[in-house]
Amino acid sequence: MHYKTILAASLTTLALAACGSSGDYEVKEKIDVAEPGQASDGGSSSGGGDILAAGEAAFAVCSGCHSADNGSPSQAGPNLYGVFGRKAGSLDDFSYSEAMTGSGITWDEASLDAYLADPAGNVEGTQMVAGAIPDADTRKAVIAYLKSLSE
Amino acid sequence: MATFNLNGEETSADVDPAMPILWVVRETLGLNGTKFGCGIAQCGACTVHLDGKPVRSCSTPISEAEGRDVMTIEGIAGPEGELTKVQQAWISEQVPQCGYCQSGQIMSATALLRDNPSPSDEDIDSAMSGNICRCGTYTRIRRAIKVASGQAEPRNEEA
Amino acid sequence: MNDMTPETASQNPKRSRLAKWSRRGFIGAGVLAGGGLLIGIGVRPGNPIGDLAPKVAGGDGEELINSWVKIDADNIVTAIVPHCEMGQGAHSVLGQMLADELDADWSKVRVMQAPADGSYVVSDTARMFIAPFTLNAADWIEPTYDGLFKQMAHAADALITGGSSSIRSTGQYSMRIAGAAARKMLKGAAAESWEVDPVEIETRDSMLIHKASGKSAPYSEFASAAAEQDMDQTPTLKKASEFRLMGKSKPRTDIPAKINGTAEFGIDAAPEGLNLTYAAVIRPPVPGTTALSMDASKAKTMRGVLKILNMENFIAVVAESYWHAQQAVNTIEVEWSEPESPIKTMQDQFDAFAAKLDEAGDTGGLEAAGKGDVPSVLDDAAKTFDAEYKVPYLAHAPMEPLNCTASVGDGQCEIWTSTQVPLMARSEVASALDLSTDDVIIHHPFLGGAFGRRLAAEYVSMAARLAKETGYPVKMIWSREEDTQKAFYRNADTCRMRGGVDGVGKLVAFDSLFTQRHDPAQACVPAMYDIANTSIRVAEADLHLPFQAWRSVDHSHQGWFIESFIDEAAHAAGADPVEFRLGMLGKSPRHAAALKKVAEISNWGDKGGKGNAKGVAIVESFGTIVAEVIEVDMRSGKPKLTNCWAVCDAGFVMNPDGFRNQIEGGIIFGLTAAMYGGLDLKDGAIVQSNFHDYKMLRMNEVPDIKVALINSGDVPVGGAGEPGLPPAAPALTNAIFAATGKRLRELPIAKQFA
Repeated sequence: MHYKTILAASLTTLALAACGSSGDYEVKEKIDVAEPGQASDGGSSSGGGDILAAGEAAFAVCSGCHSADNGSPSQAGPNLYGVFGRKAGSLDDFSYSEAMTGSGITWDEASLDAYLADPAGNVEGTQMVAGAIPDADTRKAVIAYLKSLSE
Repeated sequence: MATFNLNGEETSADVDPAMPILWVVRETLGLNGTKFGCGIAQCGACTVHLDGKPVRSCSTPISEAEGRDVMTIEGIAGPEGELTKVQQAWISEQVPQCGYCQSGQIMSATALLRDNPSPSDEDIDSAMSGNICRCGTYTRIRRAIKVASGQAEPRNEEA
Repeated sequence: MNDMTPETASQNPKRSRLAKWSRRGFIGAGVLAGGGLLIGIGVRPGNPIGDLAPKVAGGDGEELINSWVKIDADNIVTAIVPHCEMGQGAHSVLGQMLADELDADWSKVRVMQAPADGSYVVSDTARMFIAPFTLNAADWIEPTYDGLFKQMAHAADALITGGSSSIRSTGQYSMRIAGAAARKMLKGAAAESWEVDPVEIETRDSMLIHKASGKSAPYSEFASAAAEQDMDQTPTLKKASEFRLMGKSKPRTDIPAKINGTAEFGIDAAPEGLNLTYAAVIRPPVPGTTALSMDASKAKTMRGVLKILNMENFIAVVAESYWHAQQAVNTIEVEWSEPESPIKTMQDQFDAFAAKLDEAGDTGGLEAAGKGDVPSVLDDAAKTFDAEYKVPYLAHAPMEPLNCTASVGDGQCEIWTSTQVPLMARSEVASALDLSTDDVIIHHPFLGGAFGRRLAAEYVSMAARLAKETGYPVKMIWSREEDTQKAFYRNADTCRMRGGVDGVGKLVAFDSLFTQRHDPAQACVPAMYDIANTSIRVAEADLHLPFQAWRSVDHSHQGWFIESFIDEAAHAAGADPVEFRLGMLGKSPRHAAALKKVAEISNWGDKGGKGNAKGVAIVESFGTIVAEVIEVDMRSGKPKLTNCWAVCDAGFVMNPDGFRNQIEGGIIFGLTAAMYGGLDLKDGAIVQSNFHDYKMLRMNEVPDIKVALINSGDVPVGGAGEPGLPPAAPALTNAIFAATGKRLRELPIAKQFA
């Protein structure tokens, strides 16, 4: 009796483990963009003349933690749409460090420049442990891009 | 073209300057010891040294490495592959389980001991808390750091 | 031992990349015949199954003694291990067990992973799932089990690494027997050649020695001749007093490669000659939905992008680097089909559980176990009490995100991936691409953690379909967000318990009702406790998120339910939690001994200061009894874990240090889940996405852990990977109760101290 129960449960688990096979799905749409070796190398232009494009390209790494879309929720870092002119630590949907909420910063060119150069040195206790931008030109471009993000 | 010193050798890579160091060393340069864990600098599996300082390579673009020294797990041993004290302690204390996070752990511990040859428990907590180990080898990592810094005796193999 | 990376046969660079593996040839030789399966199979030159030799034997001068042992011309003994190495140390310990019985020189032992071929089905693991703890070596060839197990193994493609089974099934029933049999064959071959009685030949450190004649030879000298010897199906195994390697903390063979970056995990696949492309994917946010359409207008213009695909059950961008693929896929807007599940939030899920529990009431549901008369004893009890416990869904979150590299060509598919079930992966790929399983080749190197997640293989067929559709070799990597939100999960559940104590404070009735029962089936039964009246009932309820075994499976929540309630019972009876448990362990002397010992090493009698207290729990799972005491400091208002003591009785521990490492890891896994683990739902989709909101314990949060072992012997060997986990959560919440008087009946803990 005991034995039977155990067997039944084991088979259930193994059967469940077998779910998720994708044998029955079909390809709904396929867009051919390029062949290997021929792909676009656009979309990044840090050497180019357009500072906003350079800033947007450099922001790609930041986008792992920060959304810059209007209305998107905060992720591992706060949403940065409209950060320019905003009081530090003021979004409701992000749990800031006490250091950030108590920093008294209102974000502008100078404060962003100082913070992005060395986040932990600038606001000791910040949760931002990576993503510093030591290069002054890149910083300037990212700040210009962030400034462009507002209504 | 990104140009930097990788594990002691001048290296260049024709890549998107925005691409994180992690993916350049793994995919472009074929050094797979540095691991992808979270992509947002939360887990530390991708830790490398940039000019000797531990950084999260998943969130640091290769443009940041321009003209600088990048050291990965493959570069820390001696010229003949001699293991460092940290690596030796990782063996004597039998630290790894799955091993996936351990490159990052060792890079963080190596940087800690270079700056602080005799770290206290608090120093170890502070330096190592950015590195997640899902297998839960933390207590062994702590002991290995103590062994590597001469503050504890290596484990007896037969015990 | 200096073997760094598991040398899998399939990684042999000399083999042509898509060389066909003839499974028929292997089976045709009768490998699966006779019920013995892999044990006792001679592989000899000229034998039709010599086909296998090039896959397992590396070159000339090597002979296969049997399917688990290889001895080459340099006198190197190789253990062919049918389990994946995912951090549990199984490769190394299985090698230790084989080498001990074989009397091999440990410095000349290597460990090799068996190829993902149907013939290597892990029969004994399947059997452990069927009838755990009931087998011993003598039962091993019991025919009924064999027939049943073979059938099941085929049905389930059971090349499985899980259930804490590697050592206690493969090790005990295969490796040791193989080692002993091989040693006997070597002796037989030497005896024939030297014309002496085989009993006069001694074996030591991979040498054959005949003292009387002064003759000696390395094993390699008689490897070929030994392969011609008859194999003993039931060779005599060593007694514990004769062990030289078993029971010793030999250093693990996989560690050297894991400290210098050379260990190869699935995500590191870089097959020679393949120009890899990289895929990033988006899976449906709500289980069971599919992608109706996508807007990829931005992604099309992005750097490095090659192809964008709507594969119905997922969206993919294939690009020249993973990072560019991920950047592009992030911009795609997808329209998903309407979910069928009515559950949108965790409240909906718990309401659905409650409805089933209400329906079952005090006596309904399916009885999983029971004795006596719970209702009338509860009516007459001096004191009754009840509690309702809730646990959330949990993600596995292995450090290595799910990934798979696939290459399709010439009617075959080659796969590189981290998996616990390579044969199931093979079947799924074959089915997805309409190939025969013979035409699917699986390479499965180290796993960067699994914890049950890699018992499912849906990601493998995803990569295979992408490789087929694009025509490129593709390395698909899931972002951490996909890994957290679109996977399989430990079930949530609600459990209602009722108990009654008699006039002298003895627990006389215990009733438990819950909705989820997966595996092991007896996890919900507190069998070690002597309670006269019990009823254990299941009122099955549907889960919104797909289930997958999660480290220790049902024990992960049942251990918490039961040991929390027993603590509540002790409190109701006005008894000390350790004394109260000991009072019910009269018929379970091993459990009582473990509990006494953990009380002793944790200095249980010292209750600590204000806000600083200890909690205890004991759970037997996967054949191992683990008693834990956790000390928590509540003085800051939030739990700080200061110390943990664990005492484990696994019968006999093969590698004490490796065992302790597993127990330490299990404790931290359990404490992580107890403190932080929990997934929330919004509109039916998981809210948490990455380690910032699905938190793990970190270095500064883990307690000091001391693990003591009891080798009580004379019982089947227990597991290591899972048993450390189940007592951790209840010991912690019991400690918090002791420190604060606050009884936690819902996990995770941190949520309640935010």
